[in-house]
Amino acid sequence: MTITKEAYNRIELLQGTLDMLILRTLVLGPAHGHEIAKHIQRTTDDVLQVEHGSLYPALHRLERKGWLTAKWETPKEGKREFKYYRLTPAGKKQLATEQSKWRLLVESIARVMGGETA
Amino acid sequence: MRFWRWWVQNRNREADLERELRSHIEAEAEEQREAGVTSEEAAYAAQRALGNTTRIKEDVRMAWGLRWLETLIQDLSYGLRTMRRSPGLTAVAVLSLALGIGANTAIFSLMNAVMLRDLPVKNPDQLVLLGTGRASGSTDDFASTPLYSYPFYRELQQKNQVFSAVSAVLSLTFNSMHGAVGESGSLEPMDVQLVSGTYFSMLGVEPILGRAFTQADDEPAGGHPIAVVSYSWWKRRFARDPSVLGNTVRLGSTVYTIVGVTPPDFFGTTVGQSPDLWIPLSMEKQISPGWNGLDNKWFQSLDVLGRLKPGVTVTQAEANVNLLARQIWHEFAGAVLTKEQQIALKRANIQLTPAARGLSRLRFQFSLPLQILMAVVGLVLLIACANIANLLLARATTRQREIAVRMAIGAGRARLIRQMLTESFLMALCGGALGVAFAWWASEALLAMVSTGSRPLPLSVAPDGRVLLFTFLVSLITALLFGTAPALRATRLDLTPALKEGRGVASIASSSRLSKILIASQVALSLLLLIAAGLFLRTLVNLANVSTGFDKKNVLLFGIDPSDVGYKEDARLANLYGQIEQRVSAQPGVRAASISFFTFNEGGWDGPVEVEGRNLAASADNDVLHNVVGSGYFATLGIPVLFGRVFTRDDTAASPKVAVINETMARQFFPGGSPIGRRFGTGNDPKHSSDFEVVGVVKDAKYISLREKQWPAAYYPYTQNLQYYNDLDVRYSGDPKAIVAEVRRAVGQVDHNLPLTYNDTLAQQVDRSVTSQTLIARLSAFFGLLAVFLACIGLYGLMSYAVTRRTNEIGIRMALGAGKTNVLWMVMRESLTLAALGIAIGMPVALAASRLVSKMLYGLGPVDPLSMIAAAVLLLAFAALAGYLPARRAARVDPMVALRYE
Repeated sequence: MTITKEAYNRIELLQGTLDMLILRTLVLGPAHGHEIAKHIQRTTDDVLQVEHGSLYPALHRLERKGWLTAKWETPKEGKREFKYYRLTPAGKKQLATEQSKWRLLVESIARVMGGETA
Repeated sequence: MRFWRWWVQNRNREADLERELRSHIEAEAEEQREAGVTSEEAAYAAQRALGNTTRIKEDVRMAWGLRWLETLIQDLSYGLRTMRRSPGLTAVAVLSLALGIGANTAIFSLMNAVMLRDLPVKNPDQLVLLGTGRASGSTDDFASTPLYSYPFYRELQQKNQVFSAVSAVLSLTFNSMHGAVGESGSLEPMDVQLVSGTYFSMLGVEPILGRAFTQADDEPAGGHPIAVVSYSWWKRRFARDPSVLGNTVRLGSTVYTIVGVTPPDFFGTTVGQSPDLWIPLSMEKQISPGWNGLDNKWFQSLDVLGRLKPGVTVTQAEANVNLLARQIWHEFAGAVLTKEQQIALKRANIQLTPAARGLSRLRFQFSLPLQILMAVVGLVLLIACANIANLLLARATTRQREIAVRMAIGAGRARLIRQMLTESFLMALCGGALGVAFAWWASEALLAMVSTGSRPLPLSVAPDGRVLLFTFLVSLITALLFGTAPALRATRLDLTPALKEGRGVASIASSSRLSKILIASQVALSLLLLIAAGLFLRTLVNLANVSTGFDKKNVLLFGIDPSDVGYKEDARLANLYGQIEQRVSAQPGVRAASISFFTFNEGGWDGPVEVEGRNLAASADNDVLHNVVGSGYFATLGIPVLFGRVFTRDDTAASPKVAVINETMARQFFPGGSPIGRRFGTGNDPKHSSDFEVVGVVKDAKYISLREKQWPAAYYPYTQNLQYYNDLDVRYSGDPKAIVAEVRRAVGQVDHNLPLTYNDTLAQQVDRSVTSQTLIARLSAFFGLLAVFLACIGLYGLMSYAVTRRTNEIGIRMALGAGKTNVLWMVMRESLTLAALGIAIGMPVALAASRLVSKMLYGLGPVDPLSMIAAAVLLLAFAALAGYLPARRAARVDPMVALRYE
């Protein structure tokens, strides 16, 4: 399923890009799972839907790889504790490599697709 | 401790995850409320947005890693609980697996011991044997390639460029020589092997005590009365006494000093033999005066083994050895070669056989039967697998609700399949473990069955690493075979009806279709095994009905060993034979007795003959089988005399040389007219063509094996061909036990030192000549019936289950007027259809497969209608029985009860 029935312009995430998006989101500062999901959704005008089902396994996987650390904290204005994720230096490095790979991929695809329309 | 810490940490992590997910839902709900949704709706929507938390948790746990271990432990403990919950099913499954895997392990153990295991020597892969190792004995053929002379071996040893070491072994082991340990010991049997001085060093076998032989022990002839003894003999005879070195063993008139003891696992280089003593080849003449080949270039009696130099391939070595061998033979033959010699030299080709697994005539005899049996037990295991798969399928239906519930609360299908497969593995491993225990016992029994001698073969069939690995792999494969289909089937269900009804009707229908396929294949496989059993049993019957030409009943076979007590090959020996025959024949229960060179199935001595006054074509097969016997031989064996006379006391060393021949020899070599009075000679030399005068013609007989073509045969009196002969054959009437005692007493009266062993009856000797056929016939019959039994249990189970499920339908049918016979037939028809389907599938497969075993058959072709029809009828009968029991139950259904059912 690549496009859902209700919203034709919502796109399922490409395999493996979720990790990159999480890392990129956390560059802006620590965030908990719900915030990360909302952030991705909002910045893409709801085009990218983050499956919550894959968000948490991804977070834990990244934590295990040492790219993120997590800590329970209470936000300033809130009363509830949330598990906040932070980018580690290794995570930053990882984001850089993923970004350059991503760029390469996009450019290559664009070249092919551009050739098709021309 | 480590596990505990992991567990605690794990529990914390679980709580943490739970809390994290809850906080997510709450945050989402809050957001929804802010957007104006009612708080009840919001909580629900939040939960829905997150999805199946159980599944998420599963995936997160996966991300944690170590998950597989945890899963495995969970699955194993769950599997154990399931197995305990249905002890009946578990017992049946584990037991049939134990039988199936055990049978496979047992046959494999034997195969391993006979065919697969490497010799316990240094780098066995470098060892090669000259020739194929099929022959044993001696030959004077020019340029023989199965056996080699001692001078040949020495030349090869010195001149070859491909071996780092070469050694020679006499191709015969002197089994049951009689020797005395120490100065005053009494005679006891011991197995002696003659080897060259390089034998142990070439193999890289270091004695655990004392020394091994060296090259120096090869010369001079008769100069090295020393012996290296085996560990098991040392243990048996000396109770591992370290002061064994320096002790002596007297064999014949020579006293040998024990100089070394071999390591425990070393049994020589011939699988299926295990000499007690190794003695240098230089003592050949002292051990057996008849074997006097040290300086005879054409007395070819040795197996030659070489160790390849590192980097030399078998092909390179073969080229070098053949080049060298031609030179050596040419040199031996002298400057001028006869035409025959030139042809033989050109034709001679030495094949190098890898000898990592040692030599073994046993291997030639049993490798095909063992391979066939391996296939048979493999099929039996397949049938057992099909049965267990059926049981599991049936259980899967009863477990549908459980599985549906587990899937509904978020268990993944893959996870469930893995868990069910773990259960299967657990079951298979239990079966495998039991199977090893069963195989331990069974392989000993098998060993006893293949042992052609009166002693069990010295082979170790206890499971070793390779056997255990085999069993483990077989168990794993088995589990996959019987576990996969039920696991896939059980987890492929439509949740809603399964939860509602507790059973999904559609999936029952399809799972019973799978069951039917399984049953039909079981029937097909059983048919295969039954046909094989039929073929082998009929072969055995044909062999038992082969006309031997002698009367195998009421004959006892003894062994005497005059060389061990100092007799020389002279008049005294002839006198000893004569007196033994006379005294033994005079015993009340004895009807006739005779010394002989060969009796039946003891090997043979064959060679060409020249007939006086006839020019036999050189190309023709002029080989005749020779035997040396006493005057009472024909009466003892019950071979009828057709013309002329047999030997008498008047045929002495001084009288003209005579021979008795069989019908075939008379027809082939003396066509037209009576052969009595005609003359022939042994060998290819026309000068000797009048050596023997034919005085009698006897009926044809079988000599070496029951399957042999009819040999032309000639008998000679021992008085004119004096040598050590070991057979004493006695025809008796009455109680054989008493006769054995009588014969012992009579021989004792002649010479109380002479070792006498009772070997066997002639009938046993004949039976033993078809050991491999007996083995394969018995085992295939056993496994064939076992297979049918398993298949019928499967069929019975399926039909009973079907009847139970269809009670309602049957009730309706009967209420509408169907008679008991109709119902009976309805159920019977189904099981017979399945059986017929199986037979239809199995027949063509059997036709194709039986060609593979045609080498093991005798007196019938691989396509044997009788075996096929018998197998099919037997299967149908069993299937009818398996179907009848549930059918009768169905016919007894009370319509009123049945209609209220459910």
